[in-house]
Amino acid sequence: MLRRTLLATLLIATPVLAQTSAVMAQPIPVGSVEILSGPAAAYGIAIKSGMELALDEVNAKGVLGGRKIALIVEDSAGQKDQGLNAARKLIGRDKVIAIIGPTLSTEMFAIGPVVNERKIPIIGTSTTATGVTAIGDYVFRTSLPESDVLPVTLKAAMARGVKTIALMYANDEAFAKSGFEVMKATADKVGLKIVAIETFGSKDSDFSAQLTKIKALKPDAIGLSALVEPTAGVLLQARQLGFGKETQFIGGNGANSPKLGEIAGPAADGLIVGSPWFIAKKDQVNADFVAAFRARFNKDPDQFAAQSYDALKILAAAIDRAGAADSEKVRDALLKTDYSGVMGAFQFTPGRDPASTSGVVVLTMQGGKFVVLE
Amino acid sequence: MMPAWLASDWTIPAGLDDFLWTYGHLINSLGINGLLALSMYVVLAVGQLSLGQAAFMGLGAYSSVLMTLTLKLPFYVVLPASCLVPVLFALAVGVPTLRLSGVYLAIATIGLGEVLRALYLNVDVFGGALGINGIPERAQTWMIFGMLILALLGLWLVGRSRIGRAMEAMREDATAAAVMGVNVPGYQLGALVASAVLAGIAGCLSAHQSSFIGPNEYGFEPAVTILSFALLGGIGTPVAPVVGAWILTLLPELLRGFSDLRLVFNGLIIVVAVLFLPHGLLGWRMRRRAA
Repeated sequence: MLRRTLLATLLIATPVLAQTSAVMAQPIPVGSVEILSGPAAAYGIAIKSGMELALDEVNAKGVLGGRKIALIVEDSAGQKDQGLNAARKLIGRDKVIAIIGPTLSTEMFAIGPVVNERKIPIIGTSTTATGVTAIGDYVFRTSLPESDVLPVTLKAAMARGVKTIALMYANDEAFAKSGFEVMKATADKVGLKIVAIETFGSKDSDFSAQLTKIKALKPDAIGLSALVEPTAGVLLQARQLGFGKETQFIGGNGANSPKLGEIAGPAADGLIVGSPWFIAKKDQVNADFVAAFRARFNKDPDQFAAQSYDALKILAAAIDRAGAADSEKVRDALLKTDYSGVMGAFQFTPGRDPASTSGVVVLTMQGGKFVVLE
Repeated sequence: MMPAWLASDWTIPAGLDDFLWTYGHLINSLGINGLLALSMYVVLAVGQLSLGQAAFMGLGAYSSVLMTLTLKLPFYVVLPASCLVPVLFALAVGVPTLRLSGVYLAIATIGLGEVLRALYLNVDVFGGALGINGIPERAQTWMIFGMLILALLGLWLVGRSRIGRAMEAMREDATAAAVMGVNVPGYQLGALVASAVLAGIAGCLSAHQSSFIGPNEYGFEPAVTILSFALLGGIGTPVAPVVGAWILTLLPELLRGFSDLRLVFNGLIIVVAVLFLPHGLLGWRMRRRAA
C-alpha cells in the first residue's frame, strides 16, 4: 500500500516538477494587433518596428528573473472583423497576458470591449481619439490624446500674436473629426475667436471654395485637422490663392509627418504642429533610440515607432513589477508606472491616459523639414 | 457510478468553450456573410447586377443601432424592424433604377451607397466619421444561423417553385421571358426588396455583435466583397454563394500562419478559382421535376 502511494505520488509529482521548471523557462506571451497590410499599413509597420527594437533590449536582460517576452503580432488589415478575430486568437489560443495596439481608435472601439471583458490589459500606442480609455478598466494608452497636445500648440500660436482662427477638417475620417472637435473646444478655452469652420473630404483635391471663403474673413490662423495628404493639398492650394506669412497655419496630429514637407515643399513652411516626440530631441535616451533604430531598420524612426518602443518597455517593466505573468497583477502594476523613455517622463492617470504633457514639443516647418519652434 | 461526461451536467467542456470563444466572432461572421451572399444571390438570380447590398446592410445596421440605443427597444423587436428602412429605400430606389440594366444599374446602386455614406458622415445622429460605439452585444450565434437557415430554406423552396423557373428564365433572357408572360419588372422589384430584407437583417446582426459601427464599413469596398461571395461560389443554387462567402471569410484567418504573404496567397487562391471555375465553385443548377 505504502509503496503504491509512493509510486502514485511520484507519478503525480514528476510531471508537476517538470511543469514548474518548464514554466520558469517559458517565454511570456504578449500579443499585438496592428495594421500590417492595406492602405494604412505604414503606421502598423512603424509600430511593429518600434516594438521589435524594444523587445530585443528587454529580452537581453529578461523579465521576472530571466524569462523572455514572446511578442506575437497579428494583422488587422485595418478591418474591424479581422482585428476582432486577431484579438480573440491572441487571447484564446496564444494565451497572451497583455495586448499592445490596435492602430486606429475606431479599431479600439471594436476590440477594446472584448479584451476588457476578458480582463486582459490592452495598451493603445497610437489611439488618440476621445473616449478610448473610457471603454473599460483594462484599456490603457500611451499616446497623448489630441486634447493634451493641442493646448500646447495653440498657446504657442497665441504667443506669436494669433487672436482669430478658422478651422478646416476632413469630415470623413474619425481621427480628423475627433482632432477638430478637440481643436474647437481648446480654441474656445484658451480664448481664440473662431471665425469659420469648413469641411472637406480626405480624397478631395480642390479646396478653393473653402479657402476663398476663409480668405475674405482674414483670420490670423488656420487650424487643419486631416491626414497628411489632404493637409498638404490644402497648404499648396492656399499658397496659390495668396495666403502668405501673415496667416499662421496650425496642424493637428496628422500634419506631424515628414511626408508633409515631401509633398507640399516650401508651401508648408511656417506651419506649426505639436508633437509628443521629435527625432532631434537631445536627451541621451532618445539619441540612443534613434541610433539603434537606424542601425537595425536603415531608416529614421517616426513618432509611431517611438510611441510603441516606449509602450513595450512600459509593459515589460510592469510585468517585472507584478512579479508574475498574470494579467490582473500586470494591470495593477501598469497603473503604478513611473518610467522615463524616449517620449519623456511617463505615468498613467487613474483614467489610464498619459499623465504628463511635458514631452510635447512644438515644431515648425522650415525648408520642407521640421525644426523645434524657438 | 455515473460516467464523468454524464456527471458534468452537460456543460460545454473547457477546451471546446475556449475554442468557441476564440473563434466566436469568426463563426458569427460566417453566418452574417452567408446572409449577405444570399442578398446578392436574389438579385443576381433574376439577372440584375445591383450592388446596393452594402448600402442596405448599412441602413439595417444604423437603424437598428439607433432603435437599441435611443429608443431602448428589445432585440426581438429590433431584429425584425431592422429590415423596414432598407425595404423602404429599396422601394423608393427600385422603381426608377430598375429601368436600368447591366453595368448602369451597378453604377446607380453604387451611387446609393456613396450618398448614404455622405449622410452618415454629415448628420450628427449617426456619429459622423467617429461612428457609433458602445453597442450592446445582443446578437447570439443561434439567431444568426437561424436566420441563415431560414433564408436558405425559403430561397430553396422559391427556387424550386414556378417563381424559380421564371427567375431562371429572366436570368437567361429577360425579353424572351417577358414574351412568355413573366412579369419581369414585378419579379425584379420583388428580388430587390428580398435583397434589402436579407442585407438589413445581416446589418442588424453584425452591428449587435461587435459594439462599433462606422460609415466606411458600408461603402464601395464591402459592396464588391459581397459581390465576390456570389462570384466565387456561383449562383446556380442558394447554397453556392453561401459557400463562396464562407471560403472568403475563412481564408484570411486560415492563412494567418503565412503572416507577410497572407494577402498574396489569398489573392492567388481567388484568381485560380475564378480562372478555372468561371461558373463558381458550385456551378450546377437546381434540379426540378418535369412540369
